[in-house]
Amino acid sequence: MLTWLIALPVIAAVIVALVPKRLKELHLPLGIALSVLPLALAGYVFWIFEPVAGYQFRQQAVWYEPWGISWSLGIDGISMPMVLLTAILVPISLAASTSITRRTKEFVVYALLLEAGMIGVFLALDLFLFFVFFEAILIPMYFIIGIWGGERRVYAAMKFFIFTAFGSALMLAGIIALAFTHAEQFGSASFALSDLMNLDLATGAERWLFAAFALAFAIKVPLFPLHTWLPDAHTEAPTAGSVLLAGVLLKLGTYGLLRFNLSLFPQASVDAVWIMGTLAVIGIIYGAVVAIVQPDLKRLVAYSSVSHLGFIVLGTFALTSGSLQGAVIQNVNHGLTTGALFLLVGMIYERRHTKQISDFGGLQKVMPVFAGFFLFMVFASIGLPGLNGFVGEFLILIGSFTTLPALTIVAAVGVVLAAIYMLWAYERVFTGVPDKEENRVLSDLSIREISILAPLVILVLVLGLYPKILLDKIAPSTEAVLDHIESQTEFVIPEPGRLGDVFVAGGDQE
Amino acid sequence: MIATPDVSWIAILPELVLALGAVAVLLVEVQWKPATRVLGVISAIILVVAISFTLLQWIQAGDALEFGGLGTLVAFSGMVVMDGFAVFGRFVLLAMTGLGLLAGWKLIESLNRRGAEAIALVLLATTGFSIMVASNNLVMMFLGLEIGSISLYVLAGMTREKIKADEAAMKYFLLGSFASAIFVYGVALLYAGTGQLEILAIRQFFTEFFVTSPAVILIGLALIIVGLGFKVSAAPFHSWAPDVYQGAPAGVVGYMAAMAKIAGFLAIARILLTGVPQLDANWLPVIAGLSALSMLVGSVVALVQNDVRRMLAYSGVAHAGFILTGIVGGATTGMLFYVTVYAIQLVGAFAVVAVVSGPGSSGSSIDEYRGLARRSPALGAAFAVLLLGMAGLPLTSGFIAKFGVFSEAWANGYGWLVIVALLASVIAFAFYLRVIVVMYMDETEEEAIPVSVTARWVLGIAVVGTVLAGILPAPLIDLAASAFPL
Repeated sequence: MLTWLIALPVIAAVIVALVPKRLKELHLPLGIALSVLPLALAGYVFWIFEPVAGYQFRQQAVWYEPWGISWSLGIDGISMPMVLLTAILVPISLAASTSITRRTKEFVVYALLLEAGMIGVFLALDLFLFFVFFEAILIPMYFIIGIWGGERRVYAAMKFFIFTAFGSALMLAGIIALAFTHAEQFGSASFALSDLMNLDLATGAERWLFAAFALAFAIKVPLFPLHTWLPDAHTEAPTAGSVLLAGVLLKLGTYGLLRFNLSLFPQASVDAVWIMGTLAVIGIIYGAVVAIVQPDLKRLVAYSSVSHLGFIVLGTFALTSGSLQGAVIQNVNHGLTTGALFLLVGMIYERRHTKQISDFGGLQKVMPVFAGFFLFMVFASIGLPGLNGFVGEFLILIGSFTTLPALTIVAAVGVVLAAIYMLWAYERVFTGVPDKEENRVLSDLSIREISILAPLVILVLVLGLYPKILLDKIAPSTEAVLDHIESQTEFVIPEPGRLGDVFVAGGDQE
Repeated sequence: MIATPDVSWIAILPELVLALGAVAVLLVEVQWKPATRVLGVISAIILVVAISFTLLQWIQAGDALEFGGLGTLVAFSGMVVMDGFAVFGRFVLLAMTGLGLLAGWKLIESLNRRGAEAIALVLLATTGFSIMVASNNLVMMFLGLEIGSISLYVLAGMTREKIKADEAAMKYFLLGSFASAIFVYGVALLYAGTGQLEILAIRQFFTEFFVTSPAVILIGLALIIVGLGFKVSAAPFHSWAPDVYQGAPAGVVGYMAAMAKIAGFLAIARILLTGVPQLDANWLPVIAGLSALSMLVGSVVALVQNDVRRMLAYSGVAHAGFILTGIVGGATTGMLFYVTVYAIQLVGAFAVVAVVSGPGSSGSSIDEYRGLARRSPALGAAFAVLLLGMAGLPLTSGFIAKFGVFSEAWANGYGWLVIVALLASVIAFAFYLRVIVVMYMDETEEEAIPVSVTARWVLGIAVVGTVLAGILPAPLIDLAASAFPL
């Protein structure tokens, strides 16, 4: 079944590619229709997913025996939300791409291939397979930014590619090293995550390997100071590209840290808690401060991503039940809200062909529906109780406080800063009188645009009011990660950080 | 009755077929002046027969490995061997000859009556390189190298009315002969040190004797490495490659480059791994150094090239470095796999160059590729796949190839080399992507480029091969693994 999750988008891409060029109008609708299929399957997987630890729906086929590589897929509480998020965001971002009139067919094909790669990354339980998907994603994204992007698209696409490829090159060295260590200790090379988790690594080697993996993922997240590719890529990418970049691609980094770094290198992870936590907090504050002064709306949202993802990394390395669950659910939340914000920025850009905050003002009067949606997502993003952002940030902060109190206090400032940059931007764009001639004639959102945003709004509300629906399925898997760390190291998760407390915290919001 | 010596003809059957075939092509041309198409059919038959004999050799070599010993595999008083390594190499060479002829067919047709010469030269070059990979004797190896190289020098200048091509051919000839001379001198010194010319005997020599001061042997070995390093365009012996690739007629560059590289790498592997494995403490660091230098120089200099052919030449320097990491790994599996898939990509890439710039052209500015994906989507896509394959993106053969040689080097304790190689791969991405940027992200108003049927076949095979070997590499790796040298 999981193989189908990867195969369906590929098949869809092939079908779209086979539709002849003269049926130009057909490509996008067909792509949207076909991308609903993986969504339906992902929804079904979510439905029958058992809230227990360990991987479900395992599939395994030997790829090349002597190297110990296999087509090994599985899904657990950490990857399931990500797969679902990917499957949701692809049809939405395709539906929001009607402004792409040039080379539509290629665009749809790349987006669908991108979907297959992203789902593959989350499902892969073999490091070789994981790396294949991790790298393969770069090409469709590179084309999406490079062909349909803004003014400096080629520069942005190249920067995106080289930064990420650099990180993954070192990770590949790490993967090779792990496989050979396995060969030394158990007699045969293996790339299976479950095999490699049992390796007995020397402290020095473990730290180096941790660093190699962490670098790759930190670039992807992006963690301060490796974030410089992100604003360029986001600003230049077309709307759908930004949505998928922020919604899913960045999560490959946080997902990788949680899935691979914590599980493969428990001791090094425990040792690196302070380093990673500090970098995360610097990212939170830095991203927020830089976001405040951005004159460009899209860049502002991009820097807000740097800040938000800092929270996720902090939660990951705080190593408590609450913080890990918060990190996973915040992955989803950020995908939904930031995705929606990029969609909204894209919609106004299609009308006004500018993203400069100073070009707007008083839009509330002209486009009340648009302003409503925007404000809703702004609130979700800054974590208003009752909306999804609150759940994630609250869980992360309360969970992290038990192990990293000082950093958590600083991080909490980021929440305030988020309110500042988001609301200030809202104020400058929407409130006041529409004093510019061009702004007075703008049309409000169409039915199509509303129906694109509606699913996101519903999800934001559902996850904000009843996060248990997801948390119940996440918790056993994050607990398993913590158990593994406790069994491999002398690190003991402080008592209030363990499971019981979190459900109290979670209960508060219900 | 004349007493015939008892020789195992089978060991050189493919070369006999090729050499006689080359002569036959020339004679048929002189006698009947047939259409070029007829010569094409003749050369196809020659290749098919040669490949069939190679398959026969493969079966025989397999049997001999099982039942016989070394003795049955060495033929012509130790001149040539018939091991899996030689047969594999020969097979790849023949396959590339087929692809190369297809890719260069437009050029051969445009040469009119001299087309037969070009075909004969191609067949002779293959003969030479084929002998080279199968030789057990260093003099025999030199002979093969020269037969092959001299044919290539002439091919490089085939469009003799073009001054650029003449220049390329002249440079290739002068520098190439110089390198050959260095190789021969190395062979002489190795002979002076060990008293042996046969590679197996040299190995035997080192197991029997302990050489207290191997200075002469080491110098000889160094000179051999320099000579062959030139042929495979490893840095710092690469400076001829960009000029020759740029100047020589586009139709033959892919073939030329692929053949010299395949034979060169296989010869290096045979001499070092079969002949002097006991000296590896001496040559491993040298090869590792050459490898690292080639990767870095190739990748970095390729970044600033504005001619696609020069870019491919420098990328070839980088690839030479990557392939050498396999030899540093002390194994031949990864290297054979790499050489095979890279040769296919190389021939494919130059087939694109020949289509875009014209088969007899010299030089291909990157501007000619502007908006290629819009003008001719299939051609652009094929080139993109081949470039990404060379860059080593997952799901292409290039990734599996890199992974293979890097793993071997890592296992042999050369972790630092692997890290250098990985960083060089990232740099390499930049210049491959630059071509893709130009093809996909720039617009053009120009019309589609007509692609000949033969070029379509080459590109189809190269693209399918690149993707297939990237997704299902197992059969080819297994073949390469069973093709170890004696």
